[in-house]
Amino acid sequence: MSLPQILFLVVGVITLGAAVAVVTSRNVLHSAFLLALTFFGVAVLYVLLDTPYLAAAQVLVYIGAISVLIIFAIMLSRKVAAPDLVQRNSQWLLSLIVAVLLFGVLAYLTLQTAWPAAKQALGVDAIGGLGEAFVGTYALPFEVVSVVLLVALVGAIIIARER
Amino acid sequence: MQVLDDLWIRIAVWFRGLLESFLPPWAVQLTMDVLGILLLIVLGIVVVLAFTYMERKVIARVGDRIGPNRAGPFGIFQAIADAIKMLTKEDVTPTNADRWLFLAAPIVVIIPAVLLYAVLPLGRGMVGVDLNIAVVFVVAMGGIPILTMLMAGWASNNKYALLGAFRTVAQLISYEVPMVVALLTVVLLAGTMSTVGIVEAQASFPFALVTPVAFVVYMLAGLAELNRTPFDLLEADSEIVAGYFIEYSGMKFAMFFLAEYINLFMVAGMITTLFLAGWQWPILPSWLWFLIKVVLVIFLMMWIRATFPRFRIDQMLGFAWKALVPLSLINLFLVALVAKVLEPGWVRTGVLFVSNLALLAGAIAIMAQVARKREERARAAGEAAIKRYYGSEVR
Amino acid sequence: MLKTETITINMGPQHPSTHGVFRMVLTLNGETIVDLKPMFGYLHRGLEKTSESRTYLQAVPFTDRLDYICSMSNNFAYAVAVEKLAGIEVPLRAEYIRVIMAELTRLVNHMLAVGFLFNDLGAWYTPVVYAFRERERILDLFEMASGSRMMCNYIRPGGVAADLPAEFLPQLRKMIPHLENFVREIRFYLSDNEIFKARAVGVGFLPADMAVAYSITGPVLRASGVKYDVRKAEPYSIYDQFDFDVPTQVAGDVYARYLQRLDEMDESLKILRQAVERIPEGEYATKVPSRLRPPKGEAYARIEAPKGELGFYLVSDGSPNPYRWRNRPPSLINLSALREMCLGHKVADVVTILGSIDITLADVDR
Repeated sequence: MSLPQILFLVVGVITLGAAVAVVTSRNVLHSAFLLALTFFGVAVLYVLLDTPYLAAAQVLVYIGAISVLIIFAIMLSRKVAAPDLVQRNSQWLLSLIVAVLLFGVLAYLTLQTAWPAAKQALGVDAIGGLGEAFVGTYALPFEVVSVVLLVALVGAIIIARER
Repeated sequence: MQVLDDLWIRIAVWFRGLLESFLPPWAVQLTMDVLGILLLIVLGIVVVLAFTYMERKVIARVGDRIGPNRAGPFGIFQAIADAIKMLTKEDVTPTNADRWLFLAAPIVVIIPAVLLYAVLPLGRGMVGVDLNIAVVFVVAMGGIPILTMLMAGWASNNKYALLGAFRTVAQLISYEVPMVVALLTVVLLAGTMSTVGIVEAQASFPFALVTPVAFVVYMLAGLAELNRTPFDLLEADSEIVAGYFIEYSGMKFAMFFLAEYINLFMVAGMITTLFLAGWQWPILPSWLWFLIKVVLVIFLMMWIRATFPRFRIDQMLGFAWKALVPLSLINLFLVALVAKVLEPGWVRTGVLFVSNLALLAGAIAIMAQVARKREERARAAGEAAIKRYYGSEVR
Repeated sequence: MLKTETITINMGPQHPSTHGVFRMVLTLNGETIVDLKPMFGYLHRGLEKTSESRTYLQAVPFTDRLDYICSMSNNFAYAVAVEKLAGIEVPLRAEYIRVIMAELTRLVNHMLAVGFLFNDLGAWYTPVVYAFRERERILDLFEMASGSRMMCNYIRPGGVAADLPAEFLPQLRKMIPHLENFVREIRFYLSDNEIFKARAVGVGFLPADMAVAYSITGPVLRASGVKYDVRKAEPYSIYDQFDFDVPTQVAGDVYARYLQRLDEMDESLKILRQAVERIPEGEYATKVPSRLRPPKGEAYARIEAPKGELGFYLVSDGSPNPYRWRNRPPSLINLSALREMCLGHKVADVVTILGSIDITLADVDR
């Protein structure tokens, strides 16, 4: 095993461990911070897979924005981080079945897919290609997504301002 | 001259040759990498020692004082004395603090600060990694401190800390927007996102001259990201005492302190790289030029800190959203347009410089107008009250 | 739609910007102040009651400890009250010395008020250090005359403790232009700072009618546009012989109070100039017995102290000890309008507004 492979395994274990802890932690705020750790682990995996741009985007969007938003929302809500958070309710069995089924389907699909491997390393111009795709081929979907986000933004402001 | 310019690279090459004489190639690579990382971290700490001393001296001189003068000649060991004090201080954890987060915050805060050094071109050919997305990397790492400040503010279980944490989110997220737009302007002009490429693109004109608006916006946003006056609301001593790290003491406090000064060097380094032509400029060795420019930028920041009062939270946010964001956006459009129409050269630089100055002047005029209106309103309110009291306008 | 909660914060008693042991219970909605309750008394030393078991002269050092920045003014007010009670005449030279000291005290106080206001605004000690530098020069003069920098105990019933040393007046003469220059410098460097204006204009507005209703006095009242100064309204000592104006402002906000202090410093320097020119030779004190027994009766005397109207109310039952020794501290009464000034502003403004009222906690709690 080469050094990058060992690193990949170590980071992967940390990421998965953090992800499990997100679900099992009894403190919501701890969960939120562990989620940020998970995101960071994924970003490191991206770096190890030679896609630094995706890694930077992952950190920027998932840690810089989404995690902060989640934590802020938790802090602002009432009864913040109550230590005795109830983790189970009457429907736990049902949700367990659904979760196991979903996991089964995803695992099956993952195993069935023939993952194509790139023949050579990604070119330096990968970002350039990404940018061109955004303003060329996929210009319309890209713009539609921005409009949707804008609408969501305006909607949030209107909800918050209503007194 | 050439020898001096390549000094550090020559040392590295020589050292590598020394290692190769008795180590297998993979071990040489590993040793060099680890040494490089260690060197960058040590640089961080040395920088902190140097700049805390410099900060004390500069602020003291601005205030017509002498500053540290007891520990060693001219007080140069003051920073070391401080470090010893920090290490020997009692390490207090509040009873009701969230122990794990309280412990984690000072550790996590240092990571992005040190990581950023990797993309800083310290001289010709002296850069940790020449990432082709270095600019995005810098922006991404800038988001992590928000998380650690929230962590510290929440874990301390202190209301001032919580207020500080809330202010953090508002301030850092707001100032990231103009900062990124200013960065975009530079990327647009340089045509690359690599820090090395950006420095090389400034061979003839530093971008501070090409687009002063982006420079000013980035400088102000950088001050805000660093929590330095006039944007030091996160730790505002006279209001919320120390903000998110109010409960920290000893070495844990020192970690926040360390991160702050490492970031200071980093932001000054980025300003130098993006706008002041980095290590370029003739005669002196490249790494010395870089250091000189960084120290000048830091001196400017210290000067500002020593002389300006701070904004209030609403004014600060208003300044970001109502002044800096529109200004930097207009500038981005302007630069995009001019860069498309004109070829690089004297004419383009001249056009951009003049139009940028006009833009700045316009923005300042509008802000002054708003300020005068406020003054008039305050005066009118006072006049009305005087009239109520005296029954006439006689005073 | 959105449900919000208020949080309560105890600002003080240990807080860098409360200028002493003062506590404010703030109720905040986000960063906006919904309610404010000032809590004081942490520094109560019972000076009034203690003074009732001392003789009239023994009480003078206690007045130093009321507002420790303006000990000379406190001495002055108390001396005027005792003289009124016992009917003591004061020699003219002593009156001049008193006026000089009182105006120098005003300068010291206003310098510090302006300097610390900037500290509260976050201008990292630079303005306040310059203010301290000038203050030290004035304190040198105090030390020359009284032997002490802050707790002067210099102005006594009947006159002053000792005559001015020979080098005092020449040095003061030299210092007046220097101080005038200092005020000019402050105006030049600080008054037009846009961040300062943004923080100060329209903040902590105190309408003229409300100021009068709260019986606010001193620079805070005049900054609201009410032209009232004890030196003009009810001249004491020899203030009716000096030519000076009572400056006022219009806006009644933090910025107006800052400008007001600068204007008053100019007027004080005007008075000092005249006093230094005209001061006569002669006795510096009337002999007052150490166990002074004023006739039965009562007296209230007030002066324009730097922070506002400072009054002493003394009741004598004919014994060497006062029957009642009462003090009207300007700091306490000016503080009473703090809540009205702060409501609706942000947390950061509380500090600024408190700084602009200019209180000394020793004066509030006594």
